Amino acid sequence: MKKNRAHTVIVQKDLEDLIPVFMSNRRKEIETLRVALASADFEQLRQLGHRMRGVGNSYGFEQISEIGKQVEDGAIAGDRSGIASCIAEYSDYISSVQISYE
Amino acid sequence: MNDIVFHAGRDLAQMEFRVLIVEDDPDMAILLARMLEKEGMSVDTIVEGDAALTHIMSSVPDLIVLDVILPGLSGFEICERLKANEATALIPIVLVTALEDTPSRIRGIEAGADDFLSKPVKGEELIARVKSLRRLHETRRELEARRLGAEVEHKETIRKAFSRYVSPRLAERIISDLGKEGLPFQSHAQRISVVALFADLRGFTRLTETIEVDKVVGMLNEYFAVITEAAYRHDGTIFSLAGDCLLVGFNVPFAQPDAAVRAWRTAQEMIEGFAPVLANWTRRGGISTGVGIGIASGEAIIGNVGSPYHMSYTIIGDAVNTAARLMQMAKAGELLVSGTVYDEIHGLLPAGRVASRGNVALRGKSEATPVYAIELAEAKPV
Repeated sequence: MKKNRAHTVIVQKDLEDLIPVFMSNRRKEIETLRVALASADFEQLRQLGHRMRGVGNSYGFEQISEIGKQVEDGAIAGDRSGIASCIAEYSDYISSVQISYE
Repeated sequence: MNDIVFHAGRDLAQMEFRVLIVEDDPDMAILLARMLEKEGMSVDTIVEGDAALTHIMSSVPDLIVLDVILPGLSGFEICERLKANEATALIPIVLVTALEDTPSRIRGIEAGADDFLSKPVKGEELIARVKSLRRLHETRRELEARRLGAEVEHKETIRKAFSRYVSPRLAERIISDLGKEGLPFQSHAQRISVVALFADLRGFTRLTETIEVDKVVGMLNEYFAVITEAAYRHDGTIFSLAGDCLLVGFNVPFAQPDAAVRAWRTAQEMIEGFAPVLANWTRRGGISTGVGIGIASGEAIIGNVGSPYHMSYTIIGDAVNTAARLMQMAKAGELLVSGTVYDEIHGLLPAGRVASRGNVALRGKSEATPVYAIELAEAKPV
């Protein structure tokens, strides 16, 4: 994925009221990922990646699930640089994603 | 991640089908809740394993959607504990696992999960699985309600039958003990220590010859209402009611260490309770009678006696014979007790109203019996 590339996600209309909190939690999640990476806490990174996998697609954000899988796999492999790239990609995605409801 | 905002669930407490979602990701929990609430279900969400178990024990849901990975107890552990507990074993559990995670599914089956759901969760799949389990759960609940209804009806029939003989409190205890071996009405006879109380309306049989027939039944009903109520109040068992004579047993079918005291209190309340009834009879028809009572203790045989057509729960033995003889000797308003009973209750007796009759040779007994008389109303000769 290229940096600052625009993404659009279509979310069910009846979930619209949940999205502001969902996005706020994702931004907090990015910070938690950074802290965990800084302290090389791979178990927490694995858990966070696993959680991202589950929640992303469930809300319609496939990209979050994909990044989550990479974080989870990277944590199992102890791949710090790989995880750092994932976090950067995640941060970029969250700040640029466009959401429409239908 | 602990400071992630948790959406407040909607207040749908009025809804019938209650689902508990146990999911450590608040966003996932609220999403699942939203899907189920749209289907008219009431949903609670909990993010931690130990708290979930505590919640379930205090407020049993109709269905649980349970994530595998949780802080505290895992989904597997919660599932195992719920399925091992009789009170929660029937709650359907949908275990949420990753689609490709076959080992988790096998572990979930071993833990007793009823169904599985994969992340990412598809709304249609969640609803379909929950609805299917809901139908199953409601069928089970209906069958259980029918079974309980039949059990209650059966117990009510038994309770009514027992209530002819024992106080409502004793009847409840007998019913609660049904199915336990050895209690309370055994088919085989038992020899046990009892306190027997005989009460009789002294001289009433002779009086009935001069009273109109329809009045006799009404008067007997008034009399028995008073004395059976007294017997029940002290958990006596009524073995026989014939004519104007009543036989009550204590320490049977359940042990009553204070059986003699219970018998004394019963006698006291029989005579005192009958006083206003008698006063009314005397005022209306000049009838002079009163309750005479005999109490004795000793061994007796308890058992069901009769034929396949008629059975009677019966008490036979020296204590019963002695109590009967004492009742026959008692004046109206007087209680006669054997020495063994007196030894148990003498501290409770009213001062100045107790007199020893010495050792009395009772009919049918080879040895004389120490007898004590307690005057509870103005005693009159029979």
